Amino acid sequence: MIKLNPLTLKKLHRFRSIKRGYWSFVILLFLYVFSLAGELFVNKRALLVSYQGALYFPTYGEQISGKEFGLDYDYEVDYRSLQKKFQREELGDWVIMPVVPFGPYEMDYANEGSTGFSPPNWKTGHFCGTDKTERDVFARLLYGFRIAMTFSLGYLFLTYLIAIGAGSVMGYFGGKTDMIGLRLVEIWANVPFLYMVIILVSVMPGWWGVGWQVSSLLFIMVLFSWTGMTYYIRAAVYKEKARDYVSAAKVIGAGPARIIFRHLLPNVISTLVTFAPFTIAAAISSITALDFLGYGLPPPTPSWGELLKQAVGNLKTAPWIVISTVSALVLTLTLVTFVGEAVREAFDPKKFSTYE
Amino acid sequence: MNDMKKIKFFVSPLVACITLFFLGCEEPKLKQPRETKPDQSQETSNSSGKVDREFTRELAREFAAEFVKEFAKQINHKGISLDANQSTGAFKNSVSKTGLVDPGGKPHPLLSHCSEDVLEFYQKNADCFSILSPEEIPNDLEWQDGSSEKEFSSTNAKRGGTFHAYMRDFPRTLRTIGPDANGGFRSYLLDNNVIGLTHAHPNSDGYYPGTANEWAVGNDGRTVYFRLDSNARFSDGKRVRASDYFFFFYFMRSKHIQAPWYNDFYGKDKFQKVTLYDEQTLSITFYKAKPDVVERVSIRPKPEHFYSELGGEYLTKYQWKPEPTTGAYVALPENVDKGKSVTLVRQNNWWANDKRFFRNRFNPDQVKVSVIRDNDKAFEIFLKGQIDAFGLAKTEFWYEKLANDHSLVKNGYLTKVTFFNQAPPPSYALRINSQKAPLDNLDIRVGFHHAMNFELVLERIFRGDFVRMNTVADGFGERSHPSLKAREFSVDKAVESFARAGYSKRGKDGILINGRGEKLSIEIMTGYKHFEDVLVVLKEEAKKAGLEIKLKVLEQTAAWKMANEKNHQVIFSAFGTFVELFPRFWEPFHSDNAYQEKGDLKYLENGDLKAGLTTKTSTNNFTQTAVRELDHLINQYREEEDLIQITKMAHRLSKIIHDHAVWVPAWKKPWLRVGHWSWLQFPDDWGPKESTDYEEFQVFWIDTQEKKKILNAMEKGEPVSSQPTVREYKKYESK
Repeated sequence: MIKLNPLTLKKLHRFRSIKRGYWSFVILLFLYVFSLAGELFVNKRALLVSYQGALYFPTYGEQISGKEFGLDYDYEVDYRSLQKKFQREELGDWVIMPVVPFGPYEMDYANEGSTGFSPPNWKTGHFCGTDKTERDVFARLLYGFRIAMTFSLGYLFLTYLIAIGAGSVMGYFGGKTDMIGLRLVEIWANVPFLYMVIILVSVMPGWWGVGWQVSSLLFIMVLFSWTGMTYYIRAAVYKEKARDYVSAAKVIGAGPARIIFRHLLPNVISTLVTFAPFTIAAAISSITALDFLGYGLPPPTPSWGELLKQAVGNLKTAPWIVISTVSALVLTLTLVTFVGEAVREAFDPKKFSTYE
Repeated sequence: MNDMKKIKFFVSPLVACITLFFLGCEEPKLKQPRETKPDQSQETSNSSGKVDREFTRELAREFAAEFVKEFAKQINHKGISLDANQSTGAFKNSVSKTGLVDPGGKPHPLLSHCSEDVLEFYQKNADCFSILSPEEIPNDLEWQDGSSEKEFSSTNAKRGGTFHAYMRDFPRTLRTIGPDANGGFRSYLLDNNVIGLTHAHPNSDGYYPGTANEWAVGNDGRTVYFRLDSNARFSDGKRVRASDYFFFFYFMRSKHIQAPWYNDFYGKDKFQKVTLYDEQTLSITFYKAKPDVVERVSIRPKPEHFYSELGGEYLTKYQWKPEPTTGAYVALPENVDKGKSVTLVRQNNWWANDKRFFRNRFNPDQVKVSVIRDNDKAFEIFLKGQIDAFGLAKTEFWYEKLANDHSLVKNGYLTKVTFFNQAPPPSYALRINSQKAPLDNLDIRVGFHHAMNFELVLERIFRGDFVRMNTVADGFGERSHPSLKAREFSVDKAVESFARAGYSKRGKDGILINGRGEKLSIEIMTGYKHFEDVLVVLKEEAKKAGLEIKLKVLEQTAAWKMANEKNHQVIFSAFGTFVELFPRFWEPFHSDNAYQEKGDLKYLENGDLKAGLTTKTSTNNFTQTAVRELDHLINQYREEEDLIQITKMAHRLSKIIHDHAVWVPAWKKPWLRVGHWSWLQFPDDWGPKESTDYEEFQVFWIDTQEKKKILNAMEKGEPVSSQPTVREYKKYESK
């Protein structure tokens, strides 16, 4: 267990006192939690169905066949038309739908003979309009956000894991290890990131499930972008290594692993933390860019890049897509950047240094 | 898709060339090893010492060029002029001898101008090239001249003006053959321009005369006799000689053009004999009495005087030096702005100016083709009037970006045209790899057909403008099956069919599972990113039938590669088709293109496939179809020469493939949709029935006065039409 030292705790307090960054963090956290529970708010499945006295909670769990509710088909119930049917019949059955009653994959072709690109409409429930195949833009934005954020957190975790490992080893052992390690990192860093991702993504076997494809995309991205962080960790470890407490630990007989993980890491963490929000922002941007180019998440996974691509092709015909997607992107990236600035300020050593 | 050109004899090779590329070399053993040159034996036998004849000839050519220059200079000094046709004129009376060379080694007068290399080629292939006396032309031939056919151009057409078109990329060469030559620009140089012996009439099954005035099919059904038009001229003023048709084969069979496919296509196996009778008559013998033999042997003359002979420098020498053409438009090197544009100029006194079927066509004086790399950008430039016409097949262009109430259309400056045509559509379809589990089961394949909701795709994504394709051979007129229909979307039928294959229970996510708990999941791969939305709709709808679809949208080349390796389960793709008399079945459906084992060796006695067959990669049989009955019928079909039998067989083949359920037909466009500036004018019917592109038959013209009028009106903001100019031509609509 890594114990935060009092200095770090002090920094966290300082972060809390920076209002803009703190509230951005709270909003971002809320949005993410909201998106994680998205099925309850934006979903084609009903929250609650009362049919012939029995209650159904279709949101999570198995798909319910139409026959279950006395319909003539065996595939998944269309809850919106079920709701209308119940209202018409007035038999005491009812359906409660989520606020936005559309799923991210669902094509709402019941929407008055529309052929795609329906403008925003409060009555139909498409608050942000629909895309080319009549899918709800808001639903795709929300689930796209969830995937992008989760992806970014995973990206953050993995890049830092590798960067910390490599950086601390180089920094702590120094000498030839550092010399050779650093050269290897430099070589690796020169492999062009975008090309490698594009090449590897296009040879990914198609029979992998979406989950596998997304994880391997994550893995590929991490593989070619962990190097940047290594330099900072290495430098921070170098600096900390020269301190007395490290020598003291050595004298007591602590091994390198113990010194690195118990003693050094808690002290270099501040360096890491200041970079974290920017890494997240970069991850969101790159996954969006990759999707935009068509090398990202496999279709029809909801993604912002894919929405942006549609938007650019239809700027005049469907402006609502570009407006909502760009707003969402700008909002998210701004929030993340605010958090990042606040963290940087809070962790700025100058605040606590006394140079005289 | 408007870029697709209908081509009679040059693109069929091209498409087949691509096909062949995928087919690969069947028998690599047959290839000659590099070090043994084919004509080496002759060299050693003819000459005592080892002389490199090619080198000698090269030297001779250089000296000759010098000599000719010097000679010309002297002639100029003396004021003597040489008539280019003098020599050929002199022959006319003397043409009665037969044989390529007389016993004294002197070439036949018809070939007197040929270079040593060319003559040697003819002599070496004397079984293929012969000269007979005119008396040997059969007397009982039924000569035809196309006079019963109607012209398809308009007498209202006016000459003049410049037609502005665009291309996506600058042509890499102005050759029409050899590496890089089959780009989109070639149609301007060759396919839509050059005139051959005869041409297939685009409104009927007949032909119209080109450089031949008359033609007749011999009694063997495979020899076609041609009487040449003595007016035919190349663009450099030289007349078209009978020997230019000999030279065509010398050219096409030469290794120097670096086009192995053409070497093969115009090889001896197919074009078995070419015979000259006199300066006006020749015959070409095809290997088989095909019903469309006239079209197949209607080659285009090659200007022998331009090439004289081919050498190793062919590719570099003619890279930017277009050959003289029999067509109306000429590309001159001075009109090539490299990387930017190519301007073609119409010949003022073109030999076919007043010829039936060619008059009132090729109207603009110039055609300027500029490079615009981006399609959306091209559209914006079109709206500015700097391009005259733009294909509007895509729904978003037709309905949104250039809607009927767009000010340019409303005021009549721009015209939107829908022209219903009749030509084989590109074969958009889901091709099921019947070798891959679980699709090796017929019930699964039939279920898959019923689970594909193309009806919804056509109605919503294509807004009802496209129609469903029904068979593997739609658009071939009589040869298309008259009543076969594509399987409709039906959840019940799909579920029933899947249940027969053991997938009878729905899992937690609504996807069917079989007794072993395996999910019914199938991957559809495609290289068409622009059709991703179509596949997304199919995927979502298939869920209703309990079928999970996984999508894989790849780069085109990556998708092709995967399909060629037969690694796909289902691929969504299309092959370009071209106007032909009858469809092809061998390439996509014969088992020899699915497995390495030849013919019936792949089948057990009951007709089932043997186990452990070796997959054949790089062929067009993407469905891995291997059905013994089908194989036999395809073999017969390829041999058949009678059109009625061919028609019957084509119907049976379509039906068997339908029953085998490996090919889910998608859609076809029954029309051409084009937007053009209103100064561009078209005939009353707009174009011939088989048009697949507005530039193909060159029947439009530019009304320069109208252009001035429209430009003036635009400046003042006045409309030139009281109604939006949106036109529909339904004359050739298929019912």
